[in-house]
Amino acid sequence: MTSDARSEKKRETETGPEGIDRIEIRLDLFTNVNWTRMSLLKPFSRLPGLNTASILLVENEEQFQQSLADALVEETAVTVNVRLAKSLPLPMKNEEGRPRIDLVVFIINLTSELSFQSAEASLKYLDPGYFLGKVCFMVTNARNASVPTERLDTVRKLAASLHCPLLFAEDQTPDGVANATERLLTILKVAAGLVPMATALYLSNLTRCTVPPDIDQPSFD
Amino acid sequence: MAAKLNLSGPSDSDQSSLNDQSVSSRSINRSLRVAEKQRRKNEAGDPFVLALKYFSDVEAGTPVLGNDDLERNLVLVEKVAYSKGLSPEAISIMLEFAMSLRMGTILCPRVLKCLIPATVVPQEAVVRAVVWLGVGKIPFGTQVLFIKWVLTMFDMIDAKDHLRAIYGFIFSFVTEENLCPYICHLLYLLTRKESVRVFRVRKLLELQSKLGRQPFLLHLLSLYKVFCPELVTLSIPSRMKSGFRNHNSPWKSVLIGVQKRNGSQVASSIGLAFTIKDKTNTRKRKHCHLELPALSSVVNKQAQTELSSSRKVVPLVQLHSFAQLLENMHHIELPAQMGSLLGSSLALQYLDCVQDESALLRLNFWLGYALHEEFLFCGDGGASQNSEEALQFLNKLLSTQHFLQEGFSSSEAFLYKFLSVWDGSLLRPQILGLLSNIPVVPSSQIRQLLFEPLMQLFFTSSMFFKCGLMECLNNMLLKWLTWHSVYALEDDLDISLNSHTSINMTLSGFKDSVMELVNFVGRLASVGLQLEGCHSLLLSFILDFYETVCDTFLKYGLPLVVMPPAGVFYPTLFAADPVSVDRLAYIMYRYKVNLTSAKNQEKVTEQAFHISRQTFREFNHYVVVMVNCLWNSKMFQPGMDVQLGEELLLKSNVPEYWTSFDLIHHPAFLSYAVDFHQRCWPGRKDMDLNSIKHSKPWSWYLEYLFTQGYDGLKQFVQSNISRQLTAGDGQDNSLSTQQR
Repeated sequence: MTSDARSEKKRETETGPEGIDRIEIRLDLFTNVNWTRMSLLKPFSRLPGLNTASILLVENEEQFQQSLADALVEETAVTVNVRLAKSLPLPMKNEEGRPRIDLVVFIINLTSELSFQSAEASLKYLDPGYFLGKVCFMVTNARNASVPTERLDTVRKLAASLHCPLLFAEDQTPDGVANATERLLTILKVAAGLVPMATALYLSNLTRCTVPPDIDQPSFD
Repeated sequence: MAAKLNLSGPSDSDQSSLNDQSVSSRSINRSLRVAEKQRRKNEAGDPFVLALKYFSDVEAGTPVLGNDDLERNLVLVEKVAYSKGLSPEAISIMLEFAMSLRMGTILCPRVLKCLIPATVVPQEAVVRAVVWLGVGKIPFGTQVLFIKWVLTMFDMIDAKDHLRAIYGFIFSFVTEENLCPYICHLLYLLTRKESVRVFRVRKLLELQSKLGRQPFLLHLLSLYKVFCPELVTLSIPSRMKSGFRNHNSPWKSVLIGVQKRNGSQVASSIGLAFTIKDKTNTRKRKHCHLELPALSSVVNKQAQTELSSSRKVVPLVQLHSFAQLLENMHHIELPAQMGSLLGSSLALQYLDCVQDESALLRLNFWLGYALHEEFLFCGDGGASQNSEEALQFLNKLLSTQHFLQEGFSSSEAFLYKFLSVWDGSLLRPQILGLLSNIPVVPSSQIRQLLFEPLMQLFFTSSMFFKCGLMECLNNMLLKWLTWHSVYALEDDLDISLNSHTSINMTLSGFKDSVMELVNFVGRLASVGLQLEGCHSLLLSFILDFYETVCDTFLKYGLPLVVMPPAGVFYPTLFAADPVSVDRLAYIMYRYKVNLTSAKNQEKVTEQAFHISRQTFREFNHYVVVMVNCLWNSKMFQPGMDVQLGEELLLKSNVPEYWTSFDLIHHPAFLSYAVDFHQRCWPGRKDMDLNSIKHSKPWSWYLEYLFTQGYDGLKQFVQSNISRQLTAGDGQDNSLSTQQR
């Protein structure tokens, strides 16, 4: 219970006047190499905390991440820091207080094209070191009738090309949220180095997404 | 208001009497007639009735634009349709109005869209509408819309015999390119053996050469082939694109809504036509889209008796006992809704005995469609998915599969798709249950279809999921092995199959698949144990699996022995609980029995199979390790898999480190050794466990362990170790392994 109290979540993207400032800065500094280097999120820029794991949930719609975060901080075995963001890069002004992020999760709602585009655009603000097992994609609404099949294929291809795991979640039922939380924690604990004899790269090598064959395709053999 | 209610469904008063299952069908009919009369009386002044009257009487050529009467009446009908659904008469009137184009083509789609039946769709109305289709003035888009409507409402059409009677007429529309996919789907639902004719097959083949191998043509042809294999020589691919396109039509959701709203009314009014219908069904019927329809006959109720006597067909619904089923086995009329077969044990018995391929094909088609629609193609992303309803449906499917002792190919195809988007928790017990029923997957495809999605789920999910999946894979292997031992022929090494499963597999192909599965589980188990810190619950499920694997030769007659990987063997050998070690000993004992008898058989029969030298080598190695470790106290000897540098071991300051995993010092058995020591030498103050090593106490100690229920250990020791009982210390026991 004590560690429960220590677990926390924090929203990374603030709205308001500062946010607008930031956007302006971002626009004119796009060419500035220095700035780009600063904004890259790096996996090993800080020392890890004792018995602590930090997770960054990136979701354009900012809905599912909220319920996930609430469930994630309930974990008692380790201290879980949850950081929420709408997109990357993260604002500079939180840089000081931000813990070492062990796992970056991109939540993609398949019913919205924007959700995917936002996640895709955010990817370039991650240090390549993250792609050695510290990034995963979580997809919601995959079974929805209104989702064009091509979109799921595109997400799969993206995850496969980055060698990242692709998890599916049922965001609309409590059981689904609980299960998604549990699975993220499983990955997070490994990524944060809390599981003996397992590393993030090892796990992601086992779970990374592959582009499945088209099952529907008739085989004429 | 009351009259309006009456039009869209039976009134509450007669509904209650209808619900009563004990009332005989005759009295139901009477009460229905009374209700009918009552209804007629009330109808006169109702605006909705007037609206319908308007549409039935309106003259051809009445202008549409600026026609307020029309607009008002149509809005009224739409309102009723979307809220309660339309009665059969109303459907007839509106359909006739729309398809006759009495007021031009503009209104037609609008009217079609609001044709939501409250109860059933009268067959005659559909037949008339199809006839209108032939007149040829209706635009293509509307024609397609109409056929889609028929397909969506197909199960609600009260009888299909007249529709079947105009099969040829409907067939003539396949040449229309736009209509073709939908017409094929409709024909698929209507086809019977009599409908398959040479000229129709020729037409379809001609179309296929024109349009390419379209899935809708292939499906219809495959059904034709089932009925008349001599007419269709075409080879049909085994794994076809999943059926006909989903018609994500405007009606589906409204229909579900309407049915949910007057659920009980629908149930009772449809229930009239059924004789078989159990009480528990009525509650389930509230949500009509995911449940099994009750058995009903395709022919009209009144025409049933004469028709069946003349054509000598007996609807399944009229049979009540197994004896009756046997009598009428060869002229049974299948129900219109194949899904209803799942609910009737008699129908399942029929399926099982007759192995009617067309019935299975139709059942599979229906099932594949239902599963896809409900679990992969949800209208709302699964949010409001009634899990209770889905649960019952899948449980029913599971019990059916258990009854038939095989899985349906459509549920298999569904699972492959579902696994790739599964979150690992939704309906877990049911999905894993269905998964364990899938037939043998060819080794060339097993990886992509099964292993990759399962691996991703396994390693990211909780321990309990891991255990569940292990159990599921164990059941899958058991079913495959049982299937092999049933179907494999004695002299022929190839497995011959009945038409039921439509898979042909050679023995070597089957062996490859089993080997792939066992190796896959080996990989999952090794890494799973590592990630979960050798959790003993997970270990127990893994050992369950290897208890199946070690007996493949003797229990199931499959000449294949696969040893567990080191990642499973060592964690089990060094496990802290004695049960795991005991089970490992039992497994190794069974391996030995299987390998020796395989070897003997090979010598006697000189059959083509043999178990590879590598397997014997692995087995011997494991046995040597186990005996050295548990019996001879020779841990960390050179040549073993677990080796540590001499210096390192000395540095660890463990006294006599080579003894640390023998039966006395092994963490799993230490407490037994201590207990034994106290019993053996109650007076001794200082405990010297090594004194158990002496010959006499050692055999007492073994006896003591065996009386604690460690039978596996007992069998292992008795089969692998022969003791020379000479006086002296315990190191004289020699190891004997009879295998090469």
